[in-house]
Amino acid sequence: MNILEIILLIFLVFSAVMTVRFDEELISIIFLSIFSLILTALYLLHKAADVALAEAVIGAGLNTAIFMSAISQIRHSDSD
Amino acid sequence: MNKLVKKTLITAVLAAAAFALYYNFSLLPGYQDLEKGISDYIITYGLHDTGSLNLITAVLYDYRAFDSLGESTVIFGAVSGIVLILSRKMLPVSSKGLSFIVKRTLGIMTPFIALFGFYVITHGHLSPGGGFQGGVILAAISIIFSIVYGSAFDYRRYSPQTKTVLETGGALTFLVIGLAGIVMEGAFLKNLGFLTAERGTLISAGSIPYINIGVGFKVGAGLAIIFYSMIQKTFEEDF
Repeated sequence: MNILEIILLIFLVFSAVMTVRFDEELISIIFLSIFSLILTALYLLHKAADVALAEAVIGAGLNTAIFMSAISQIRHSDSD
Repeated sequence: MNKLVKKTLITAVLAAAAFALYYNFSLLPGYQDLEKGISDYIITYGLHDTGSLNLITAVLYDYRAFDSLGESTVIFGAVSGIVLILSRKMLPVSSKGLSFIVKRTLGIMTPFIALFGFYVITHGHLSPGGGFQGGVILAAISIIFSIVYGSAFDYRRYSPQTKTVLETGGALTFLVIGLAGIVMEGAFLKNLGFLTAERGTLISAGSIPYINIGVGFKVGAGLAIIFYSMIQKTFEEDF
């Protein structure tokens, strides 16, 4: 277990806690995206390139876009 | 009295379902094959059996191709449900798009993103990647168009009808290759031997590249449809 992996794991836990702790949905989504990016780096470190590609594309790309569209709809119905 | 009958019925149905599940699981084979090392078998003979350099793709689209067919069916069901619930007769317009600079930059970048998506799909049996990951990259292009140019642009270029045709075509490609396996090799989704070429070339590994292309188009179009039906709908269709 080298030093880079330990640093990445600490940041993984940190971003996961931050995702839950924040009240603002936008910041939560951004931390979720960071969580996916760190997880991608960890998968690459363990030489699982296929899973890393899927995690980067779905977790950091698609999930963020879908969550963003979801919270924009929630806010519109609140202000109306 | 009526309540009692209802409760008895519910209990009977639950007990029957529990028994059916237990019976189903009791029929599963034990773990003796895993102890002998099925992963060792795949690592040793995978390249010889399938001709695919990427063993993960070999497992996904050759040894366990039926599971991948099930996954595609799950995505198809999700898309159908979301479109059934969320579709309205309105043109979705999330925004009017971003500034001129962002539009120009994305205009230059988008072909390269598409090229990377197609690369990941078609080289699924040679390098990391495959139909699923490449399809999501292609779906990201549709999302980028919706965000940067406004979703009316995406609607005019790639209408939901086109995406539906692409998704159905991808699923049909998968099924046709599976049926061709029955006709030519004697088992559903068996690797088509006559398509195998020299290892490491683009069109090798039997039917795996074609299944990859089908799955890629199917996943990309399906996820684009999901995102498209979820964005804010404000304008009536008026063009």
